[in-house]
Amino acid sequence: MSSILIVEDDRDLNKAYSTILNREGYKVETAFDGQEALEKLKNFEPDLILLDLLMPVMGGLEFLQHWNLRNKQKSDVKVLIFTNMENSPEVTEAYKLGAHRCIIKSWTAPHNLAHVVNDTLQTKSGKTKSSKTSKTKA
Amino acid sequence: MNPTDIGVPDNLLPMPRRTRHEQQAEVEAIFTSIGDGAITTDEFGRITRVNPAAQELLGYSEAELLGEWFPKKIVAVTSDNQPINLMDRPITKAFLTGRPVAEKTYYRRKNGEVIALAINVSSILLNGKPLGAIEVFRDITFEQEVDRMKSEFISLASHQLRTPLSAIKTYTHMLIDGFMGELNPDQKKSLRTVIRATDRMNELISILLNVTRLESGNIDSTPKVVQMDKIAAEIIHELELMANGKSINLSMRVKGKDSTSLKTDSLVVKEILTNLVSNAVKYTPESGNVQIVVKPRKASILVEVIDSGWGIPKAAQEQIFSKFFRAQNIVKRETTGTGLGLYLVKGLIDALGGKIWFYSQEGKGTTFSFSLPRSLHPKVRQGKISK
Repeated sequence: MSSILIVEDDRDLNKAYSTILNREGYKVETAFDGQEALEKLKNFEPDLILLDLLMPVMGGLEFLQHWNLRNKQKSDVKVLIFTNMENSPEVTEAYKLGAHRCIIKSWTAPHNLAHVVNDTLQTKSGKTKSSKTSKTKA
Repeated sequence: MNPTDIGVPDNLLPMPRRTRHEQQAEVEAIFTSIGDGAITTDEFGRITRVNPAAQELLGYSEAELLGEWFPKKIVAVTSDNQPINLMDRPITKAFLTGRPVAEKTYYRRKNGEVIALAINVSSILLNGKPLGAIEVFRDITFEQEVDRMKSEFISLASHQLRTPLSAIKTYTHMLIDGFMGELNPDQKKSLRTVIRATDRMNELISILLNVTRLESGNIDSTPKVVQMDKIAAEIIHELELMANGKSINLSMRVKGKDSTSLKTDSLVVKEILTNLVSNAVKYTPESGNVQIVVKPRKASILVEVIDSGWGIPKAAQEQIFSKFFRAQNIVKRETTGTGLGLYLVKGLIDALGGKIWFYSQEGKGTTFSFSLPRSLHPKVRQGKISK
């Protein structure tokens, strides 16, 4: 079972993503800002981090900087940016800091979220995931 | 009207001709009292006259400037204090072309401080022969700060508006997908209307943000070397979900083996391509095709966005880039849309020194083509975006 850390400050969206990905068979942990995410990551190593960029306390970019330092950029955890800041310098910066993909929240339906998560987990990854096809809704 | 009606004594009229000395005194008074900085040079670029506002803005006294070679004494720099090539300076362009030049640039003051200025330079001509130039400039530091704050506010406001919309859309989708129990077809149909309305609101926020940025001439111009084929692949990646929703085949290809690199503002190029491709997907019926073709040329990169869509009626073609214009055949089929997308695209392409055109046949499809120079237009390089 692949695991996901959702880092999203909007409680309604955080709950929705958690519900959707749980139903798709993923083990899900949640954090509401970058600092809380760094704390969670001390005891939890997910296969993918679903990361918002604009958050209070610690935003997505600052989180990535801290996390890269801690991991010395050796981690194979996938980072999927989930933001509404399309075509922004922040997205370009996130890619520089190691993000694998960026998705625009307001364009993405729940079944697409599961599809993109699954797709991102598969890219250049040596990790095996359980029942890949059953996870993705049509 | 009789002059006496407004209290002008008859004995002041007609106006006597001014003597040469009187005219000189008048010019001197005008020059000195201009609120903006003003400097004149001779035909070799040596400073011949400096007004008090220029002295105050630049931090030099009149004595320190008179007789000095303008480009050497008054150093033009980029926003990060790097000297600007002599050929790119407004005064050089005015000398070389003989035409007035209006640009934004930065000067280094005597104390090393960098100030942002809006500059107007004109050659002084007598019977077609250049006698020198006059440069008038004003401090725009405050305006730039206001623009920056406005951009930041719009960006933040649009993000904050979208977050609740994302929640509305996500939970509506979850209801349709049966996360909270099965719904009947009528209930699902109503919820799809909610989704279409949120999509429209999202689109409006996005496009109004960009049009505001464009109209304030405040799009950051940070030219970097980028690969057009990579940008196109990225856009395809981002929009494939949208295309899949209509079973539209979205693809790209590069024609020829030449490099697709160009020095430009990648975020603006992405905005252009996102708009053209999402438009193509939106206005193409289900199971159609949308293709991006990148054609490298010697001094430019040509990009085509080809769709098998409904096309643009002949009568509407002249107005297609106008603000708020939407063709009648589209309004009937597709209720969402702002009529601002192509207006924005054209503005952005102009800002990057490029060109856009299209070929369309109603019922068969449309090809939008745009070309961008391999090196960003000089006007943009200095932070001035022409509209």
